[in-house]
Amino acid sequence: MSVPAPTSSWDTIKNVFYRKDEVYQMSWQIPDLSDYLVAVGKNGGPIAIMRDERKVMLLGKHMPGKPKIYMYTSSGLPIDSFAWDLSPPVLLHFTPTHLLVVSDEGTYRLYDLSNPGSFAQHTLGGESGEMGVVFAVAYNDGFVVFNGGLHFMEVKGWHGARPIQLTSSQLTEPPSSWTVVPPDQSISGHVEVLISTGSTIITLDSLERIDQRIDRGPFNHILLSPNGRFLALITVSGMLWVVSSDFARSLSEVEISQIEGLDGHEGPVEQAAWCGDNAVVLRWGGKVVVVGPGGAALRYDYSPSAELAGEIDGLRIISSSTCDFVQKVPDPSLAVFRPGSDHPAAILFDALDHFERKSPKADESIRAIRPELASAVDTCIEAAGRETEPHWQKKLLRAAQFGRAFMDLYNPSDFVTMGQTLKVLNAVRYFEIGIPITYEQYLASSATSLITHLISRNLHLLALRISQHLGLRPDMVLKHWATAKISHAREMDGQTDEAICQAIVAKFEKEGERSVSYAEIAKKAWESGRTTLATMLLDHELRAAEQVPLLLQMKENKVALVKAIASGDTDLVYHVLLHLRRTLSPGDFFHILDDSVSPGLTPAVKLLQVYAREGDRQLLRDFYYQDDRRTETACLEMEEAGASQSQEQRLDHLAAAAQSFGQHKDRAFEAKMTDDAHRLLTLQLTYEKELSSQGLKFAGLSVNQFIYELLLAGVNKRAEKVRADWKVPDKRFWWIKLKALAALKDWDGLEAFAKSKKSPIGYEPFVTHLLSLSPPHPSQAATFVPRCDPKARSDLYVKCAEWGKAAEAAKERGDKAKLEQLRRTAPSGLAQRDVDQVIKSMTK
Amino acid sequence: MSSPVVRTSTPGAGPSKAPTYSNAPPAPSTSGDSESTAPRPVEKGLETGIFRELMRTTLVETLNEIPGAKTLILDPDVAGPLGLVTDIALLKHQAVDKIFWFEAGPLNVATRNVVWLCRPKIKHIRIIAGMRDYQYTADGLVFTLLLVPRVTELCRKVLEDEGVAGDVNVLPFKMEFIPLEDDLLSLEMSDTARDVYLNGDDTPLYYSSLALMTFQRAFGLFPKIYGKGDAAKRLTNLLERHHSSGDSLYADLEVSDQVDGLIIVDRSVDWVTPMCTQLTYEGMLDEYVGIKNAHIEVDTGLLDGQAAENQAAGSMKKRKHHLNGSKDTLLVDLRDQNFAVIGSRLSKIARRLEGDYGGAKNLKSVSEMKSFVGKLGGLHSEQQSLRLHTGLTEMIMPITRTDEFNRVLEAQQNLLAGYDPTAQMTIIEDLMYQESAWATVLRLAILMSLTSGGIKPKPLEAFKRDFLQVYGYHHLPLLINLQNLGLLVKSPPATSLPFANLRKPLRLVVDDVDDGAPNDISYVYSGYAPLSIRLVQCIAQKNAVASPANVDIAAELDGRGKKELPKAHPLLGWKGFEDVLGAIPGATVDVRQRAPGVSGRAEVRFEQDQNQIVTTVVFFLGGCTYTEIAALRWMAKQTRGRRFLIATTGIINGTNLLESLGEEKPVELTR
Repeated sequence: MSVPAPTSSWDTIKNVFYRKDEVYQMSWQIPDLSDYLVAVGKNGGPIAIMRDERKVMLLGKHMPGKPKIYMYTSSGLPIDSFAWDLSPPVLLHFTPTHLLVVSDEGTYRLYDLSNPGSFAQHTLGGESGEMGVVFAVAYNDGFVVFNGGLHFMEVKGWHGARPIQLTSSQLTEPPSSWTVVPPDQSISGHVEVLISTGSTIITLDSLERIDQRIDRGPFNHILLSPNGRFLALITVSGMLWVVSSDFARSLSEVEISQIEGLDGHEGPVEQAAWCGDNAVVLRWGGKVVVVGPGGAALRYDYSPSAELAGEIDGLRIISSSTCDFVQKVPDPSLAVFRPGSDHPAAILFDALDHFERKSPKADESIRAIRPELASAVDTCIEAAGRETEPHWQKKLLRAAQFGRAFMDLYNPSDFVTMGQTLKVLNAVRYFEIGIPITYEQYLASSATSLITHLISRNLHLLALRISQHLGLRPDMVLKHWATAKISHAREMDGQTDEAICQAIVAKFEKEGERSVSYAEIAKKAWESGRTTLATMLLDHELRAAEQVPLLLQMKENKVALVKAIASGDTDLVYHVLLHLRRTLSPGDFFHILDDSVSPGLTPAVKLLQVYAREGDRQLLRDFYYQDDRRTETACLEMEEAGASQSQEQRLDHLAAAAQSFGQHKDRAFEAKMTDDAHRLLTLQLTYEKELSSQGLKFAGLSVNQFIYELLLAGVNKRAEKVRADWKVPDKRFWWIKLKALAALKDWDGLEAFAKSKKSPIGYEPFVTHLLSLSPPHPSQAATFVPRCDPKARSDLYVKCAEWGKAAEAAKERGDKAKLEQLRRTAPSGLAQRDVDQVIKSMTK
Repeated sequence: MSSPVVRTSTPGAGPSKAPTYSNAPPAPSTSGDSESTAPRPVEKGLETGIFRELMRTTLVETLNEIPGAKTLILDPDVAGPLGLVTDIALLKHQAVDKIFWFEAGPLNVATRNVVWLCRPKIKHIRIIAGMRDYQYTADGLVFTLLLVPRVTELCRKVLEDEGVAGDVNVLPFKMEFIPLEDDLLSLEMSDTARDVYLNGDDTPLYYSSLALMTFQRAFGLFPKIYGKGDAAKRLTNLLERHHSSGDSLYADLEVSDQVDGLIIVDRSVDWVTPMCTQLTYEGMLDEYVGIKNAHIEVDTGLLDGQAAENQAAGSMKKRKHHLNGSKDTLLVDLRDQNFAVIGSRLSKIARRLEGDYGGAKNLKSVSEMKSFVGKLGGLHSEQQSLRLHTGLTEMIMPITRTDEFNRVLEAQQNLLAGYDPTAQMTIIEDLMYQESAWATVLRLAILMSLTSGGIKPKPLEAFKRDFLQVYGYHHLPLLINLQNLGLLVKSPPATSLPFANLRKPLRLVVDDVDDGAPNDISYVYSGYAPLSIRLVQCIAQKNAVASPANVDIAAELDGRGKKELPKAHPLLGWKGFEDVLGAIPGATVDVRQRAPGVSGRAEVRFEQDQNQIVTTVVFFLGGCTYTEIAALRWMAKQTRGRRFLIATTGIINGTNLLESLGEEKPVELTR
């Protein structure tokens, strides 16, 4: 079988090579595309057609009734069709996963390509709804409409975002043409609109309106090149003008009627498009002309009509019988195949030919290009990517491999990747799949988007194999497959929930890694009314954060709570708690949380208390009450007692706390204590009133502080009463009184107190406390030393700086070692002399 | 007794059991002693600085997402930790104009953006919601709320309830481990123990699990996880759950080849240790001066030296100082020493510095002079840090000489040793009657309850009654909370209090430890080995549990010996201590982690290379004390080939732990 040479489809405009390859023979039976509105997906995407109702039709040529939208592959195989029941559309556009249809009444729908029965419908609302939509233009991530109120509205994304009005265009009538500059190609980074009005062009975005001050308009067509750097403008008078997109440089001007091969009677251009960034293509009916710079052109005929679909690296021409692809011949292909090329790659390719024919010229050729062998090999690999015919792909890769053999060092990764990629591309280009994506488009759009495209066509197996072949995660494919399986299962009722669930789980475990999320699939199952299946699937979900929201939606409240607790994520538990609090009556809410029935719920009950303590006091009180939690109720009252600034309130809270403690059989002590606290505050307030002339404040003091303050105030009777009422132990009272008297510097009183009876705390505290005051009172302190334990006296005297007495005390006990120590440590001067004297008196 | 007065008299002899702290004349030493100028080669561990970088990057990226000049309003809880990783210059660079503290009431901002940075607490959200009263959004102010470490449903709910959800842009600000030192990571969360053990709110546990997952993303999966306690078990479950959840963040984790395991210390397993008064230098600073977010508040005079002269009485200004071992070599030397030896260490250092400065007289050649001048900068900073540490020691030394301090210590050591609990109750009572700080008294009472299996009902009730009368009835909920936690209970206790049964098998009380040249971790409490760290030793240093370390090693640590340290044994689990574990309530954790699809034995790698240094991460759930850190650092120096990286939810001491368990003090009555 002979394969036509790659150059057989080449042609030139001036010196530039273009090629036009037939990609597919169309399988459809559409006699004339001009009757239809046509949309073509990017990167070899599908085709949607719909009868254009604004055109007058011959009766009987088309089915009467509601218009239908038909979808086909690029090879013309039907994918699906569905009825359009809204007002006539102004735009059909393919997003990677959906078909967007905008009606002239301001409603738009996004049809899920994998399940065209389901769509999301949104309305533009406002002016667009009232005055209607005149035109709409889409870009990668959104679209812009021009409405009957002569305003431009931008819609970002495909999720029903609120339309944003661009700055007023100040138009008084619809523009003769306009286009959208997508955010990634505009200078501002936002969507811009170019409008032809009068003789000029206006640039519009959400903030500004800039007049470009052009005087050659009006223009029938404004076309932005794929890379966003050039504009092709076609004037009403039939002039094709190419300028840089900032209007700074004029690049080419062509009088359309002067283009060779045209007879000048074509009339206005029906459709125009960029072919890559290199040429502009014009169409009248089935007459297609590729215009190069300077007006040289190539002409093709597709009667009766054709549709142009621009791509980043060329242009698809779809006609009733064929799908062709036109592009400027890529550089690597040019290097290898251009007649007379002396590029090393061409020589390498030639050398392979010689080698296969066992001709010695092979060796000669290799020698000749030895220094440039690496670039020759690379170019051959690159060129292989640009050929659609596997025969030439293989041959080019073989040439690369052949050249590689002569190199010492070569990194084979490019070679391997290219082989891998071509395998993928050839698979999807197969006519039954019908995705004529080129290597450039594949690189620009990524493997993931190709896989997305495949699954949106429900080609799951192919998508899965490609994912695995390229080492990508299969989650996306598996998820989509499972969703599709569930929605299809709805129709064939034979399959039980168990069977479907098992099939999905088996597939996931076989093909996927652990990471596939079951929650999303469960959600789809639930949305299709299969609750049991949803629950089953959800059980396989490992991530509680995914599980719980759906469970709540499914009203599986308790399961949701249990799963949230098991996750250990407290915020998830709060999510459930707050949801339940919102949706349930208080009774039902507490009933669910009854952890005496289900002890596993305790963590949630605890969290509820933590939240309610700060966020919802009443809830907390109700909860404690219905759950008979007396201790907690009482502690809450204690806390609120502490937080209230008013006496009455604090007393009330304390009383309430005492009461609650009292209702608990093991809290008698606490009940007594709170009761005491209540009593204490009451007494403090009474005394404050009684002693109001002295302006004393007692409220809030502890029993100890209270007695101390009363002693300081000299109201000893009252102090004694508190002491008696609170049964303050002797030891404690002595300490309080000691401190009070010391603070008053009431030395006589202190002496009397010390003598009143034998001190229960001993007399050392008298010494040490007086010394610890600031300033210390060593002389007063020393008076108590004789009442202390004889063993300690010496050291205590030292602390009072009474060295002589210290020595005396040691002497009394006959403690020579102590005396010696005193002699060594006593500061020189008087102290030293005192100590010496005592020592001397001993030795006497 | 709280005011640090430097007294010149010699202290009285303390009780027999307790160690005494005297400023005995330092042992004679040669001025050429250069123990800190020639530091021992340190076994380089994990590069924990990446966590600092991570946070800085997060901060920069988060602030950059908010265009234009901004006013930053900080939650003090977040500001402290944030200050450890960033500085004002970095913030200014991100167009932060002014910084304020969180406060209710009107704002005073000159920028379009107002950015709040706080933990997701309801009270903070309410403050922000309060801003609607001032109509700021109408003035075109843009509000952003950064929540640490993530945005919670709860906060969303409060914002919604307050009707301001639409006016505030809420974003997460991930703040996880903060490297306080090269070997110390902290989440700097406060009140973790209260949340987890008292309130049953496992939020800190969940955040800990996320932080440990981030750690594993940086250094690989922990090959093994050990721990004791129910919360440790819950944390381990969370870690395993994250790992197996299929979250792409954790899907491709390999088993670490630098870290050989994670040991989780669950605070609820050892409440005894934090109740004890810490006796290391840094521990004492925390107990008596207070260390917050690695910062200490000191008189400015101690920091710059000049103010010392013109200190008008009482007008001393306080300034925050960052205690940082990487900048302060003296601190590294001192922080983990028992306070009893700090005085002599300091004078040694002082002499050395004097000698080094004095070296100027003996310079013979220009080149000698040049090298001396080169050293001057280092000398100067050492001198500064010497002044600081001497000053701090002077502040603490008098405290250690008070009767109160020594009685507390006496009771503490006796209780730990199980010696005559009734007599200790008398000491506790005495301290209470003289109105020592409430936390001091309560810590001892808790220690008594924990170490002697509860307190007999009668004395306990009498204690509580006295306690409430002395310190105020508002402490009642605290006492109930302590009962619920099993910290202060009547005997016989409802749940087992195993301390008495652990004393012997874990050698918790050690009589003959030398504070200056320790041969056992018990030096950090002058004779009590922290239970928590003994449990770590059960896994990582088994022979140290049964007998003290070889004294030669201590000599070697002083840089004199040349003997090689013994090689650390691999982590082999709890083997040999099953009985001990059985006595402690709570689950036991012993888990091996594997990368998915790998079935081989991961630990083999560690045993092959004799010289490889592995890191064992010890994570304290519920906080750790400085003594525990000191003990782990000491342990790391006893063997070759293993380094400990200490990670914690926060740094605690007994007093702030108790404060977090109680209610706030009652407000003033005004009506």
